Amino acid sequence: MPIQPGRDAAKEANNMKYQSFEKGRKAGGVDEGSDPLGPNSEIGRKLKQYYDDLVSEDIPDRFASLLSQLEQKEEPQNTEKE
Amino acid sequence: MSNTPNFREALLAAVPVLRAFALSLSKNADRADDLVQETLVKAWDKQSSFQPGTNLKAWLFTILRNEFYSQMRKRKREVEDTDGSITASLSIHPSQDGSSDLNDFRKALARLPEDQREAIILIGANGFSYEEAAEICGCAVGTIKSRVSRARTRLQEILSIEGEGEFGPDPIAAQVTSAAGVA
Repeated sequence: MPIQPGRDAAKEANNMKYQSFEKGRKAGGVDEGSDPLGPNSEIGRKLKQYYDDLVSEDIPDRFASLLSQLEQKEEPQNTEKE
Repeated sequence: MSNTPNFREALLAAVPVLRAFALSLSKNADRADDLVQETLVKAWDKQSSFQPGTNLKAWLFTILRNEFYSQMRKRKREVEDTDGSITASLSIHPSQDGSSDLNDFRKALARLPEDQREAIILIGANGFSYEEAAEICGCAVGTIKSRVSRARTRLQEILSIEGEGEFGPDPIAAQVTSAAGVA
C-alpha cells in the first residue's frame, strides 16, 4: 500500500496556515532559521525581561553564610574527612 | 591545598542566576532557595570534579537541575494537587512592578510543561548554546531544539489568548476560560 499523501498534505497545509496566521499576528515574528528568541522576537524579549527581573532580586544572606560555613569547615584542620 | 577562596567567590557570584533558574523551574520561592542551597552544598562537595576552565555555570545548572528532578520524583508520590500548586505559585510575585505584561508572561511560562520551560529558559534567558543545554539536560540537541520551539509556540498561543481577556472579570476566571480555550 502506498502512503496516503493526501491526508498528510492536508495536515501539513493546515499547520502552515496556522503558522503563517501566527506569524502575521505577531509583529516581531521571525523565521525559524534566524534566532527565534533573539531581541527581535517578542517572546525572546519578554523572556529576558522576566529573567533579568529574577536575577536582579536581592539575594538572601543565607547563601553567603552557607558558603563561609562550608569553607570554614574545610580549612582549619584538614585532618578529619568524612 | 585547595583553591577554595576562588571557588567560594565563584559560587557566590553564581547565586543570582542559580536562583533565577531555580525559581523558573520550581515556581515556588521557598523551594527555589532550598534548591539553590542544596546545589551549593553539592557543588562544594564535588568541587574536585569540576574542571577549571570549563563552564562553571553549566556545571552548576546541571547539579541544580538534577536536584530539582530528584526532589520532584520524591514529591510526586505525596502531591497530587498539581492545579493547586500551580495556583499557589502564581502568587509568589505579586505584581512587583505593576507590569501586567510581565505578570501575564510569568503565568504563561508557569503553564508550560517542565521540559519545555527549562529548555526555553536555558536557551532564551541564559544564553546557553543548544549543545550546552543538551548537556545540562542530558538529552539530544535536537530534543532541546524541538522543546524550545514548542515552548515558544505555546507561549505565543497562551499570551495572545489571554491578551483578549485583559479587561475580563477577574484573573482566575480569565485563566480558566483561556485554559479551556487552549485545550
